[in-house]
Order: sequence, then C-alpha cells, then structure tokens
Amino acid sequence: MSTDFSDLHGELRAVARDLLGGAGRDRAPGWKAIAASGWPGLEVPEALGGSGATFAEVAVVLEEMGRAAASTPYFGTAVLSVAALDLLEPGPDRDELLRGIASGAALPAVALAGDTGTAVAARPPFRLERSARGLLLHGDAAFVPDAAGADRLLLPALAPGGEPVMVDARPDLAGIRVTAQPLLDASRAFGRVTAEAAVVAEGAVRRFAADPEAAFRHLGDRAAVAVACDGLGLSEAMLDTTVAYVGVREQFGRPVGSFQAVKHACADMFVRVAVARRLVEAAARALSAGDPDGWVAASMAKSYAGEAAVDVAGKAMQLHGGMGYTWESGVHVHLKRAMLDRSLFGSPAAHRRRIARRYR
Amino acid sequence: MTGARRTAQDVGEFRAEVREWCREHIPAGWREAQTGVGEEEFVAFQKAWFQELRRAGFAVPHWPAEWGGGMPVAEQIVLYQELAAHDAPRLVLAFVAIHHAAATLLAAGTDEQRRRHLPAILDGEIWVQGFSEPGAGSDLAALSTTARRQGDGYVVNGQKVWASGAAHADWCLLLARTDPDAPKRRGISYFLLDMGTPGIDVRPVRQATGESHFCEIFLDDVVIPRTGLVGRENEGWRVAQETLGAERGMTMLELAERLGNAGFRWLVETCARSGLSGAPPLEDPLVADRLAGFETELTALRALCRDLVERHDAGTSGPADASVVKLFYSELLQRMTAFGAEIAGPAAHAELRKPLSSGWESGAWALDFIGSWEWTIPGGTSEIQRTIIGERGLGLPRESRSG
Ligand SMILES: Cc1cc2nc3c(=O)[nH]c(=O)nc-3n(C[C@H](O)[C@H](O)[C@H](O)COP(=O)(O)OP(=O)(O)OC[C@H]3O[C@@H](n4cnc5c(N)ncnc54)[C@H](O)[C@@H]3O)c2cc1C
Repeated sequence: MSTDFSDLHGELRAVARDLLGGAGRDRAPGWKAIAASGWPGLEVPEALGGSGATFAEVAVVLEEMGRAAASTPYFGTAVLSVAALDLLEPGPDRDELLRGIASGAALPAVALAGDTGTAVAARPPFRLERSARGLLLHGDAAFVPDAAGADRLLLPALAPGGEPVMVDARPDLAGIRVTAQPLLDASRAFGRVTAEAAVVAEGAVRRFAADPEAAFRHLGDRAAVAVACDGLGLSEAMLDTTVAYVGVREQFGRPVGSFQAVKHACADMFVRVAVARRLVEAAARALSAGDPDGWVAASMAKSYAGEAAVDVAGKAMQLHGGMGYTWESGVHVHLKRAMLDRSLFGSPAAHRRRIARRYR
Repeated sequence: MTGARRTAQDVGEFRAEVREWCREHIPAGWREAQTGVGEEEFVAFQKAWFQELRRAGFAVPHWPAEWGGGMPVAEQIVLYQELAAHDAPRLVLAFVAIHHAAATLLAAGTDEQRRRHLPAILDGEIWVQGFSEPGAGSDLAALSTTARRQGDGYVVNGQKVWASGAAHADWCLLLARTDPDAPKRRGISYFLLDMGTPGIDVRPVRQATGESHFCEIFLDDVVIPRTGLVGRENEGWRVAQETLGAERGMTMLELAERLGNAGFRWLVETCARSGLSGAPPLEDPLVADRLAGFETELTALRALCRDLVERHDAGTSGPADASVVKLFYSELLQRMTAFGAEIAGPAAHAELRKPLSSGWESGAWALDFIGSWEWTIPGGTSEIQRTIIGERGLGLPRESRSG
C-alpha cells in the first residue's frame, strides 16, 4: 500500500490511543468526543459528512478500542450500521441515516446475532410475512452489539420472496423488544432483539444494491473481522503491560522477566501478536477492497486472532502472579473481552471449517 | 495405612453406603440456592455441611484415626468419587483447616497444640494461610513480616496478601521473620495466630471473578504468646516445606476425583446438548477427540494422585512428586474449562455467578476458566513447579538466582 495510507493509519492510531487511553478504563470518551474525532463517519462518503475512507481505517480504530477495552457503541453503531447501509440501494432515508451516524446524532444497531453456529450466519435472523395486516416481522437475535442503547434498528430479514433484505425500524415499534444482556465482559453492551409479528411499513424494507445473499454474508465477515481487530488490540495491550510488569517486579533479587521461563512466555506472546497482526491487516484490506476471496482472509483472521487473544491475556494473568488475579489490575477485563471475542460471530473452529471447505 | 488390606468386596459395600448417604443428605437444589448469595449465607451453609459430613465420618477421613479420621486410602477415593458423582457441595471454607493446618499440627505441633486445635477444627474453627506478602510471592523466603521476642511471646508487624478466606478465619498459619540477620531461610518462624488478637486488620481484595475471597492482612503490634510457635524458633521454613508437601497429596486426591467424576461428566453433557448450529458438538469428531484426550489425562491424573498419597504414607516420595501432580492438575483444569467455555459459546458469558460451594468446574464454564488461574498461580506458580521438577526432580543445574 502507499505510504500515504500508512501515514494516515499512524496518525489515526496515535489520535485514537490518546483519546481512548487517556480516558482510563472506566471512563471511555463520550460519543460526542468520538463523533468529533470523525470515527463514526470514516466510511461514510464525504458528500454525506463522512471522510470517505475504508474499512482498513476503521480497523485501526477498532484495534485501539480493543487495546483500551473501551466502552463505546462504535462496533454496533458505526461499524456494522455503516457497512449495512453501504450495501443497500441508495435513497434519501439511507443517506440521512448515514449523515446522522457521521455527525454522531444517530445511534443505530444492526440486529445481527453474535452467537452464530457457523462462521457467518447462513440466513438472516428475522423473516417477513405478508398478511392481511400488512408485512409482519418475526425473529430473534441474541448477542447483538450495542442493541440496548440503539435509537434505530436495522434488522436483517428474509423477505416473503426469500431474499435477504434489511428492515429499518424504531426500537419502540409495537412487537419489537430489545433487552440488555449483561455479560461477564462488562466493557461492552449486548442485547437481544425479538420481533413478534411486528407490523412494518413497505417503505421500511430496504433492498440490497447487489446480490443480497452475498451482501448478507459480507456483513457477517465484517462483524468477524471487526471482532478480530478488537482481539488484536487487546492482545497488544496485554503484551505491553506484561512486558512492563515483569521488567520491574522483582523476586529472588532480580526482575522476574530475567527468568527464562518468563522471558520465553513473553516471546511467545509477541510472536502470536505478530502473526495475528498480519492476518488481521490482510483481512481488513481484503474486505475494504471487495476481494471475492476476502472471506478466507476473514476466517483466518477471526480464528487465529481470537484464540491468540485469549492465550495472550491468559498468559498476562499468569505472569502478573497474584496481582494479575485481582479485579483492580484490570487484566480480567481484557481476558473476559478476549474470551467473548473468540466466541462471537463464529468460533475459531467454525471459521476453520469454512476455510477447509476449499480443500474438497 | 493404605487400603491394600481391604478387599474389593469391602470397598464395594462402602461405596453402597456412601451412595445411600449422599442420596439422603445432600441438600436438594443447593446449587440454585447458593448462586448469588451473600457471604453470611455462604459461611452458614459451609459450616452446616461440614457438620453433616462430620457426623458421617466423612469430614476428615485423611486424618489419623485417633483424631477422627483413619479411613483407608481406597475408601477415601470411593468417598470422593461418590461425593463428586452426586454433586455434593465442596468444603471450601474449611479447606485450609482440615488440610494445611492439620498437616502442620500433626507433623510439627506439640501435643498441646494438637489437643487445642484439632477438635476445634472439627467443631468448625476456620483457618487461613498467611504466607505471601507484597514482596514475597514466588520468593516466599524473602518475607519481611517480623516477629520480635517480647516477654513470654512475640510482637508481630507486617503485611500479608492474597490470604484466601481470611475474612472468616478464626486462626492463621503465619510465617514471620524472627532473625533479621540470619540468611533468609534460617530466620523465619512458624506461628499459630489467633485472628481475634488486637492489631489485626483484614481487608478483602476483589478478584478477577468478581468475588472477594482473598484478603490483605495488616499486622500492627500483634502479640502471639510463646505457645503459638510451631517447631523451633527460626526453623519455620523447614516446617512449612515439610507440611506443604504432606498436605498436597490429600487435597489433590479429592480434587482429581471431582474433576474426573463431576467436571468431565458436565463437559460431556455440555458437548452433547444441541449446539448453536443445531447438531450437538459431540457429533464433531474433533470435539469427540478432545473429550477422549481429556478422559485419558484424567485417568492418569487420578493414578498419579493415588500414587502420591501411597508413596507419602510409605515414606518413598520423590522430591518433585507433589509438583508433578499440582502442575498437571492445574493445567488440565485450565484446558478443560477453556474447552467448556469454547463449546458453550457466548451463552457461557451470560452466567455471571457460579454457585458458591461448588467445585472448580461448576459448569459455568467462562467463570470456571477465569477461576482456573486460582490453581496456576497460588501455592507455587506453574513456572516455579516446572523449575522444581527440573532441578529437584531431574537434578538439572540450578538457574542462577540470588537469594
Ligand atoms: C487466588 C489466589 C489465592 C491465594 N491464596 C493464598 C493464601 O491463602 N495464602 C498465601 O499465603 N498466599 C496465597 N496466594 C498467593 C500465591 O501463593 C502467590 O500469588 C504466588 O506464590 C505467586 O507470587 P506473586 O503473586 O508474588 O507472583 P510473583 O512471584 O511476582 O510472580 C510473577 C510471575 O513471575 C514468575 N516467576 C517468579 N519467579 C520466578 C522464577 N524464579 N522462575 C520463573 N518464573 C518466576 C511467576 O511464575 C509469575 O508468573 C494466593 C494467590 C492467588 C492468586
């Protein structure tokens, strides 16, 4: 890639680390500050108030959010929603929502279920039915990122004709219920979205611009790579704090990092992070370039980075000794988030199964 | 003292007896009742369960007969198997009392100390181990809490950390420095400290799992009478070393049977439930392969534990035997719970509390996995165990380290 790009990424990373890291774990910057930084609108066209950048830039922000274990609705609101809207047929409603996201005024969520049994969901979690009362929406999606705080829902659904569409609905629409799902990882918000015969207007059904099946799958790949970015960022944070800690913590009259057992464990963490970084960057590039084989890169990134993050955070806990096991040290925040990342949007095993389908 | 004299028929009868007892005495629905309860209810439940086991002769089967134990090893194994298989609550609060404290008193205590404390433990006396300090974890001998001779006793000053269960403890096993000028292992003494003594401040520390089971203990001019000294002055390091090994075998025997009889079964059940994609994960050959691997390792773990106890009784233990078992158990527990969390998927993250009084594998796999560091860190970390196995077990040259 061009040097311009890496310059841009470097700058974005520095700003993000400053904004997210400076706030401290429990005081993530507010959505206003995040919107002012321009991150929600990174992928929104310039004409709509965004910066017309690509998923490769969004990936940098996601990684920094993982590093800081930041509590922000960026994933659900900006990353998934913008991706979903980009895949839809253009129209005034869509453009207005994109403009709202870029300005920070709109907080939509995409009701994609996080607990897919396969690498990416085979079909949308909702379906539309034609009835005497009009179009009825049914379905259920759990572990939806940032659902509970959303002011607008984009619900992937199978249209009566059988093709995937997006239903644009307010969360307070009759028949729709959004409930928060408290999880061990308290640094992020997830929710369950259910629709029981919710009556939706014809105009609320938005069609994908191109092959709807492929578009829906692409959204799943987006979600998987976004989570991989998060895992990569938090692995790096755990590597950094561990190296810093074992460099100063002394036992037996010397820094514990001088013992080969500790040093080698840190070296293994470093190698895993380096490998994960290559896979995650390749996947982000492939998806932003629209590479038809992007799904392979996505599955490689998701499966490897997901497992690596759990291993690295676990090693961090081990190498911090008793201190690592305290609530106060915060290592547990990263470990829990890494574990959840690993299981969201396709387990490592599910993604490897998808990769392996190409061998037959 | 082993079960060799027992015939298979005896053991079979004993198993039937224990099974019947379990069916009659294990409180129905205790898991649900103990999920999300406060400390007080947890302590009351633990104490009541301890007395229930005591009445049956099951609380301290590993103690010598004269103190209320004397169960042959073969029967102890059966007891632990059945308690696990019937999903009995575990003795969490009494753990240090019935294992560490008892082993110390039996190996190094005076008759008077034994008479004073062993029956009291049966009556519910709770103990805590106050060894680690902020500056002395893996390098325990570097501890700096001091015990100064004064009159007919000692005055203790310093700070202990990570003391599990200290908030509810009546007594503390305490290591403190009595000779600041001696080489670090030769200036330490072993004490029994009454936690009701003035000058003790216990502060719970919140853990990764969200509970606050381990504590800091601040000691400010705390007086311990001479009768609280275990073994001779300045020989506390040796006492600690000897009793740590003695206690290890018995605790592992119970934990290995738990992991084998309850933990593994639940893991199989988790895999047999219909998964996210519909089919049970167990139908995936890779999952079945992992489970078979775990069962194989569990079979070996249980044999290793039994061996450890028998060799200890026969006086033929090797210097790293206990380390082999501790290391293998801890890491097997970590891998099994990790696998459980992986199979259970995001749903495991919605279980925010595990039942108190349950085993290390409660079936709330994500929390169990996080809790597994309670095995790989304390009591000599996995790194330290590997060093012990390499140096003391295999006789490899020592890694240079001062101190
Ligand atoms: C849940 C829990 C419960 C506990 N309960 C008790 C209790 O009841 N009573 C009590 O006294 N203590 C207790 N402890 C303390 C425990 O024994 C210590 O945490 C442990 O010995 C490690 O010491 P540390 O925490 O100071 O880590 P450190 O010694 O600082 O170790 C940090 C890291 O360096 C590594 N390391 C250190 N030295 C070496 C070396 N020479 N070679 C290779 N690697 C090395 C360690 O393995 C570890 O990964 C508990 C701890 C925990 C986490």
